[in-house]
Amino acid sequence: MSNERIDLPQGTLDLLILKTLALGAQHGWAVSERIQQISSDVLRIQQGSLYPALHRLERRGWIKAKWGASENNRRAKYYELTKSGRKQLEAEETAWQKLIAAVGQVLETA
Amino acid sequence: MLSDLLYRLRALSRRKSMEAELDEELRAHLERQVEKYIQSGQTREEAARRARLDFGGLEQVKEECRDARGVNLVETLIQDVRYGLRMLAKNPAFTAVAVLTLALGIGANTAIFTLVDAVMLKSLPVANPQELYRVGNDDNCCVIGGFQGNWGIYSYSLYQQFREHTPEFSQMAAFQGGLGDLSVRRGGASRPAEAYAGEFVSGNYFTMFGISASAGRLIAPADDRPGAPPVAVMSYRAWQQHFGFDPSVIGATFIINTMPFTVAGIAPPGFFGDTLRSDPPDFWLSLSTEPALNGQYSVLNHADMHWLYIIGRLKPGAQPASVQSELTAEVQHWQGAQPDLTAQNRSELGKQHIVLAPGGGGVARLQADSTMGLRLLMAISGLVLLIACANIANLMLARGAARRTETAIRTALGAPRRRLIRQMLTESVLLAVLAGATGLLVAWSGARAILEIAFRGASYVPISPNPSLPVLGFAFAVSLVTGIIFGVAPAWVASRCDPAEALRGAGRSTHDRSSLPRKSLVVLQVALSEVLLIGAGLLTQTLRNLENQKFGFETQGRIIVRVDPTLAAYKPEQLYALYQQLRQRLTQIPGVLSAAYSLYSPMQDENWATDIPIEGRPSDERDNASFDRVSPHYFETIGTRLLRGRVITEEDTPTSPQVAVINQTFARKYLPNQDPIGKHLGFLKPSEFEIVGVVEDAKYMDARGPAYPTFFLPFLQTAKDPKLSWLERSQYMGDIELRVAGRPENLNAEVRRTLAGIDPNLTVLDMKSLSEQVAQNFNQERLAARLTELFGALALILACVGLYGVTAYSVARRTNEIGIRMALGADRKSVLALVLRGALGLIVLGLAIGIPAALAGGRVLASLLYGVKGWDPLTLGLGAVALALCALVAAFVPARRGTKVDPIIALRYE
Repeated sequence: MSNERIDLPQGTLDLLILKTLALGAQHGWAVSERIQQISSDVLRIQQGSLYPALHRLERRGWIKAKWGASENNRRAKYYELTKSGRKQLEAEETAWQKLIAAVGQVLETA
Repeated sequence: MLSDLLYRLRALSRRKSMEAELDEELRAHLERQVEKYIQSGQTREEAARRARLDFGGLEQVKEECRDARGVNLVETLIQDVRYGLRMLAKNPAFTAVAVLTLALGIGANTAIFTLVDAVMLKSLPVANPQELYRVGNDDNCCVIGGFQGNWGIYSYSLYQQFREHTPEFSQMAAFQGGLGDLSVRRGGASRPAEAYAGEFVSGNYFTMFGISASAGRLIAPADDRPGAPPVAVMSYRAWQQHFGFDPSVIGATFIINTMPFTVAGIAPPGFFGDTLRSDPPDFWLSLSTEPALNGQYSVLNHADMHWLYIIGRLKPGAQPASVQSELTAEVQHWQGAQPDLTAQNRSELGKQHIVLAPGGGGVARLQADSTMGLRLLMAISGLVLLIACANIANLMLARGAARRTETAIRTALGAPRRRLIRQMLTESVLLAVLAGATGLLVAWSGARAILEIAFRGASYVPISPNPSLPVLGFAFAVSLVTGIIFGVAPAWVASRCDPAEALRGAGRSTHDRSSLPRKSLVVLQVALSEVLLIGAGLLTQTLRNLENQKFGFETQGRIIVRVDPTLAAYKPEQLYALYQQLRQRLTQIPGVLSAAYSLYSPMQDENWATDIPIEGRPSDERDNASFDRVSPHYFETIGTRLLRGRVITEEDTPTSPQVAVINQTFARKYLPNQDPIGKHLGFLKPSEFEIVGVVEDAKYMDARGPAYPTFFLPFLQTAKDPKLSWLERSQYMGDIELRVAGRPENLNAEVRRTLAGIDPNLTVLDMKSLSEQVAQNFNQERLAARLTELFGALALILACVGLYGVTAYSVARRTNEIGIRMALGADRKSVLALVLRGALGLIVLGLAIGIPAALAGGRVLASLLYGVKGWDPLTLGLGAVALALCALVAAFVPARRGTKVDPIIALRYE
């Protein structure tokens, strides 16, 4: 576990959530665990901040929620990507790639 | 976008279940996290603590989720409104004062701007009013001869000249300057004739305005030819009110002044003619019927009798400036070609000119008469709105300060700042909405009251008291903005400070952020009130001076009865018999002390001026003088004193030597330094009438100026010269004057009965006391005085409320300090002085600003004042003293409460 955690840049949480859900429907806790794991605990996300983001994405129609049973038969709210959410994910991914490429280039050459 | 809205709405409608779901979702998350930590070997307590730390503030997350769902906006609005209404209901005094203050401000402004809009800004209800121009801008009225200098009224001959020689006008219409009384009876009906207002108009009058009939047809050029069958157009209002929309009126025969007319049609609703005025025409008649209707007193074919106003429609592209100089050239040319021009006339020919004025608003008589008054009203109501806003601001600031503890507690409990501000905003808007609704009521009744005072004596005014929407919107917006700014500012200030600090210092701090703005507002209020009070004082004195001035006649115990024998078709030769029994029969009425009749009565707002030759003046020169015909006992009846010689008596008959009585000004101006008795004057030659007496000056027309030079002639004395046929009209009396004992109103029925006994056709057109007739001349002055009085009182009350608030607030804040002072030995007197000193400072500062402002205001008012100077020291002094006294009392009440403080309790306070 690294001690050097970094704060998430503004607006990237939505992208991470969409990407996480692209692998399949998940409930909130699982999404947070997954982001934590995949990023090797580098990204520091206040777990609570996940939920407003989820609700916002739901309102925009990029993800939808339904109640289902979880692994140990507990009721849980599952979120999954919608069709427009998938498109949004692609668009945001492309934008993100462009951004880091551009930033990288500046950092290398300047 | 739509799905977003649906989502929000669903979220709102399923609020309860969504809230439960949110709860469950977050709890599930926490449980999983706790389990995770337990599995990694931690105790349950430690796991729960860490899970909560990881998660962050639960309530905060929930609130953010609600925000994210978009429920909050609507939901909190409902909450805020509910809370706001509760707060307003909890402080009924605050709410009442705030709502009333704003309502009065909004209402007064709306009422006055409604009238300004109707009188000054609105165009006539006709087609393309911006194309209309009036030939001349002077309201010379109603039948005049001679040169005018700045021309405004024309003879029919001059109108024809303009119409044919000014091609820039596509249409040019002429109409009577003053309305005439008509005695109208429906043909075949048994009802007696009733009095109506009528106006002669040229055949193209309605075509020029571009309006069409609401029923039947309007007068057309073909109706305005000699020999054409006489037709009349009835106003929509007369059709509605007197004939109940009876369709058979159209095409029916009406007997107008004994002459049969066919009513061709009804004018469109809302059309009140060419001039915005009270009691507009009920009938329009074509100019060509004037000679038949007025018989030998017709003015239509007298080229030198000017009685028509002209409005025309300019062709597109025509330049008003060049048309104006063209018209000026035409009038000079026409005048130069007239016979009987004197040398003096010729020398003045070059000075004759015409101003082409925009005519879209019609003949701007009312506008010209009331512009100054309306401006004054606008200024006053603006001041009141300012004061009202200052008061609201003050109340809001005080409340904001009082609620600092509440705000601090709410902040400490985690309320976001924008939520606090939004709450205050909601309350302010609620206040403004309540005030707006109340203001609407004030506006409507205010406009009605103003119309009533402004048009005293009128039976109908074509101005609607309904507030115009843009005006209402404007006033409402102003109050809203005031409420918002001063409601939100304290909330913002309060929410910015550290809640712990605020809670600790609540109610105890001597430092008060809002104190300076509040004090400045009170100073402003005091200053504005001073301006209004002094304005009210000046205008009230003006009205009193005007009404109680030395008119040269007595206003009390006199009745004026308006009659017109021509409407009953009296021939000149029948008049002698009528007059003989008139005075005799009227004098027999119990309570009538003396009776007389005349062509005009004093201050009736009518005048007949003419240029006359006077014996001893350079020949070939004529002097302008007003004239009146009066019966025996006339001067005695109206209370004008005889200064020299004798008055007109029963011995002055049609066959006796012709005599005249002149007034003082006439003698001083035209026969100076000589005995006027025995001199002569006339209409054609300076030898027709011998001056037998001089009476004191009496005002007949202009209450503010000196009396006009006037000569009085007996009825039925005129040289038999065909050139003087126009003068025959003056043989008909217009008014009967009665000097009575007791209340003039009591004799009303008896007088009508007596007149009907003499001749049932002698319609009483109007009957009122002379004091009422005089009073109606000062409608504008009365309106200005009453409104400034009202607004001045209002401003005074508001300023006192403001000062009371500031003092009470400072006493409350300083309870602690006062307690300490008293504990240390200060007595009540010195505490009282301490508090009052603060209030006195504000008052003095307010007066120091207000008095110079009032002096400047007095300069602006100067042209409206009469018998009092704008810097009248008595008014200034009284206004200042009255204001200072009221304000001191307002400050004294809470100050005294401060001295009653028990030092022990005060020290323990909070």
